[in-house]
Amino acid sequence: MEIKDTTQERVRARDAAMRLLNRLTTGAAVSAVAGVALLGAFSAYTIPGTTSTTAGTSTTASSSSSTSTSSGLQSSTTPVTSSSSSGVAVSGGSR
Amino acid sequence: MNNTVLWYATRGAGAVSLVLLSAVVVLGILSVLRVQTTGWPRFLTVGLHRNLALMTLVFLTLHIVTAVVDPFTHLGWLAAVVPFSSYYRTFWLGLGTIAFELLLAIVLTSLVRGFIGQAAWRLLHWLTYAAWPFAVLHGVGTGTDAWSAWLFTLQAFCVIAVLAAIGYRFMTGSRDPLADARSSFQGAVDRREPR
Repeated sequence: MEIKDTTQERVRARDAAMRLLNRLTTGAAVSAVAGVALLGAFSAYTIPGTTSTTAGTSTTASSSSSTSTSSGLQSSTTPVTSSSSSGVAVSGGSR
Repeated sequence: MNNTVLWYATRGAGAVSLVLLSAVVVLGILSVLRVQTTGWPRFLTVGLHRNLALMTLVFLTLHIVTAVVDPFTHLGWLAAVVPFSSYYRTFWLGLGTIAFELLLAIVLTSLVRGFIGQAAWRLLHWLTYAAWPFAVLHGVGTGTDAWSAWLFTLQAFCVIAVLAAIGYRFMTGSRDPLADARSSFQGAVDRREPR
């Protein structure tokens, strides 16, 4: 009788461990899928070659030569000129 | 599909693959050390090690497929199969190819372990100790944002975990509970052989 109890106890422990294994495997799979999305998003935000910009929204122009809009972008009253020069190589950008 | 999404998926899958591979290595070392408690039997370590190894292959495949089909780099399938054949970061990408092929060999030989025998399987399984550093170096060298805080932290965590497990293994040595019995039996056999 005692042997039977011990055997049943071991079977129960084994079943519990198997359930734990299944749960851990499922958890790891779900975490890995979420990890791809999360780390991909991190990667998108920290990718070199891009900069984060913030635009002011409440600037008031005091200069007579320019006025500001509500988005913070200034419109110039000076004439637009064009110029021509040789090309410039830019390095350092990457994905 | 947007090629930017593909590129981010490549990075995400690569980082997750490194974490999974590191976990597989740590679990493999723990299984060699026969670590177990009342609530954590040894077969749980071995089972989790096997499941995570298969999962690593899945995410590595995602990493490779998204990198190859991404139109920005034009890597091509040859670069994914033949080491150092890529025009893009040839050396670092080649390390990744080697790591993937070593891992593939390890997993495939584990699946046919019964056919190739324990000794050959064990010998091939030692390749893990080569595949993992190749994978880490591939991440450091190929990843454009390898030195960004999040990826650096992730890589440092993986390296520390694996090095700690390796150090623990060498410090504790073999934990085979039958080691003494085996050696005394072998000694008895050796003593009998001259007759």
